[in-house]
Amino acid sequence: MVDAARHPNIELLTYTEVKRVEGFVGNFKVLMEQKPRYVIIDRCNGCGDCAPVCPIEVPNEFEEGIAPRKAIYIPHSQAVPLVYTIDIDHCIKCYKCVDACGKLDAIDFGQQPKQKWLDVGSLIVATGFDIFDPSELTEYGYGRYDNVITTLELERINNTAGPTAGQIMRPSDKKMPQSVAFIQCVGSRDERYNIYCSGFCCMYTFKNALQWKQTHPDSDVTIFYIDIRTPSKGYEEFYRRAREMGIRFIQGRPSIITEDPNSGNLFIQVEDVALGQVIELEFELVVLSPAAVPRADTDEMGSVLNISRSPSGFFMEYHPKLRPVDSPTDGIFLAGAAQGPKDIPASVAQGSGAASRATRILSSDTWEIEPIIAHVWEDRCISAKGKKCGICATKCPYNAIVVEQGKAAEITAAKCHGCGACVAECPHNAITQLHFTDAQIIAQVHALLAHEPEKKILAFMCHWCSYGGADNAGTSHFEYPASSRGIRVMCSARMDQDFVFEAFRLGAGMVLVSGCHSQDCHYISGQQVGAARFDKLAKRLEKMGISPERYRVEWISAAEGAKYARVIKEMDETLKSLDPEALREEIERVRPALERRLRRLPEIPDVAQALELASVE
Amino acid sequence: MHHPDEFDPKFRDEVLAEPGGEHLLRCYSCGTCMATCLVRRQYPDYNPRRIMHMVMLGLRDEVLGSHVIWRCSACDDCYEHCPQGIHISDLFKAFRSIALREGRSPPGPTARVNERTCVACGLCVEVCPYDAVELVQKRVLGHKKTVAQVSAALCMSCGACAASCRSASIDLVDHSDAILFECMQQELQGAEVAA
Repeated sequence: MVDAARHPNIELLTYTEVKRVEGFVGNFKVLMEQKPRYVIIDRCNGCGDCAPVCPIEVPNEFEEGIAPRKAIYIPHSQAVPLVYTIDIDHCIKCYKCVDACGKLDAIDFGQQPKQKWLDVGSLIVATGFDIFDPSELTEYGYGRYDNVITTLELERINNTAGPTAGQIMRPSDKKMPQSVAFIQCVGSRDERYNIYCSGFCCMYTFKNALQWKQTHPDSDVTIFYIDIRTPSKGYEEFYRRAREMGIRFIQGRPSIITEDPNSGNLFIQVEDVALGQVIELEFELVVLSPAAVPRADTDEMGSVLNISRSPSGFFMEYHPKLRPVDSPTDGIFLAGAAQGPKDIPASVAQGSGAASRATRILSSDTWEIEPIIAHVWEDRCISAKGKKCGICATKCPYNAIVVEQGKAAEITAAKCHGCGACVAECPHNAITQLHFTDAQIIAQVHALLAHEPEKKILAFMCHWCSYGGADNAGTSHFEYPASSRGIRVMCSARMDQDFVFEAFRLGAGMVLVSGCHSQDCHYISGQQVGAARFDKLAKRLEKMGISPERYRVEWISAAEGAKYARVIKEMDETLKSLDPEALREEIERVRPALERRLRRLPEIPDVAQALELASVE
Repeated sequence: MHHPDEFDPKFRDEVLAEPGGEHLLRCYSCGTCMATCLVRRQYPDYNPRRIMHMVMLGLRDEVLGSHVIWRCSACDDCYEHCPQGIHISDLFKAFRSIALREGRSPPGPTARVNERTCVACGLCVEVCPYDAVELVQKRVLGHKKTVAQVSAALCMSCGACAASCRSASIDLVDHSDAILFECMQQELQGAEVAA
């Protein structure tokens, strides 16, 4: 941190919040709000004369509330910059600090929040994580029993610069405990709270246990665990060292902790898996390893940056294996535990990765994007004719479209990722997606339904998930009937209802629309745009008179080959049970309604030509 | 359920200090020893992994009072397979030594020396696969005499000493020559009747 602060090319803005982010890769504009410290950064030299005279004491957040701090304070002794801040919520404005500051005259109670716009080329999100509050697990009594503490509290008690000067003592009687239990997976790997593994707790617990055992070899140190996770380099060796130091490992998740109110000692009940029996053990101190959880303001931050969250709540990466450092928005990168719980080596690696990914943008004049972006036919856009619309802008997951009444919708090419949501949603067919034009897809629909359409299942698949799922079914040798025909588009958001109408008009037996599960969508909210449309479409088709079993919506991930095969198999069975003649008759009955819906289809550039070519064949 | 007063946290250190007990802490309860063990085929409740874990927990009385610690035949099949390189039969010797020191005795037969007839030829010492027999000086019937002596902690009751002894001065409790001959005769008679 000190190095970063001193670097000539790094400007450090502390106590500052990002309020808004506009623009796109290489051309972001960021609105920052610097909160008032009530201390002038350039004048304060960190001498610390102000703090002793301050009469206010509040719990010190850095010391986990074990020690107090003043209302004028620095977060901790290594803070960068080493500048005091006044906690105005607790300050009583006695101005004693102003007197203590004297000639430096660094205190300014008149400071106001300052806003400023910054031009930046790329952004890195490294907002870290929070710690799960273990008092939610009432069975462990955190908050009720004095001697049940969290690992961060132990960290402070064990630190020579901490409130006890490194003297380990338990809260109830300030004595050095002779026995200590560490409990792992508190609030993680738990369906009630967080299902993921926090990843680094095993290692820090070994570290704490080893330190304890080294300084107090006669004490009894026990670790309760469900599984030990030591997947990185040198970790298993460290675990082995902990075992050989005489730390007791008991596999089993304690069910309850009770306290002896007289001694303050704690009784842990656990099923020891290796023993196959329930045991009860007594400890003088219990240390919990709580889960790492997303920061409380992750949602807020995500909407400012337009980046999405994984099911676990942490920020989602572009691709878990191939682009683990990129966010779904170009030019915004993720580092450290903001993306998911990780330890120091992994955070350093991701931070370095994010820095180099970010500088790649800063050092290039041009930026290459996928050629599948959306394009507006200005002569077709009704906004250009002065009418009010803007549907495309509301559906775009990337805020890449600007609609101004009187002007055609404008797409920022650098922001467009090619999901096709705007294309399918435009009620006037004024937008197309390069390489996935309506004409191209309609031509595919015609080709696939050219022969015996009533015996076919036409499946629309998204590139990332359901197409991957179909591929997975093939490579995994999951057999499914040959009656399905697939059309790949980038996202379920691109699956225009006209494609489904056209398929039925041509007499398709069944239509499947499929895409990613909502949380897996590669286009932030593309799947949601598609899903909303598919719901409406189902009602519309039923109203028209198409039997509901002929249209199906399924969310299939790239790993769910078995599910893809099952869905096709089920659809095929249903299709076989229906009378082909009845299917044909049904289409004939609804044909007028379908044709009414599709009457404007040939107006779309190239579609008329595609339809003509299809009819010739 | 095991209650807090059943656990003796110092028991582990006691075992670690005993020759053979030094590798106890390496065990992470993978169970390879148990899956390899030949004795287990005979005694289904015999479980070396569980015993080691009980030692680590400090269940002193339960371990030392268990018949299980006397069952290991030291075939060392588990030692070959143990991913942590723990010499489990040595560990069991350590448990037995502690048990014997406390006056506990093995449940099965061990070799027994008839000191009056023993001539201290040392054949038994040579043949014992477990180094359980040694020659010691003792007072026998008021005379100083060198005789063989069997360590109950080490003896596995294989009977090699009894078979090799030329003066029939060493045999197994419950499996003496006399008992075995009687068994043989009964078996042979049974076979004749059947024929």
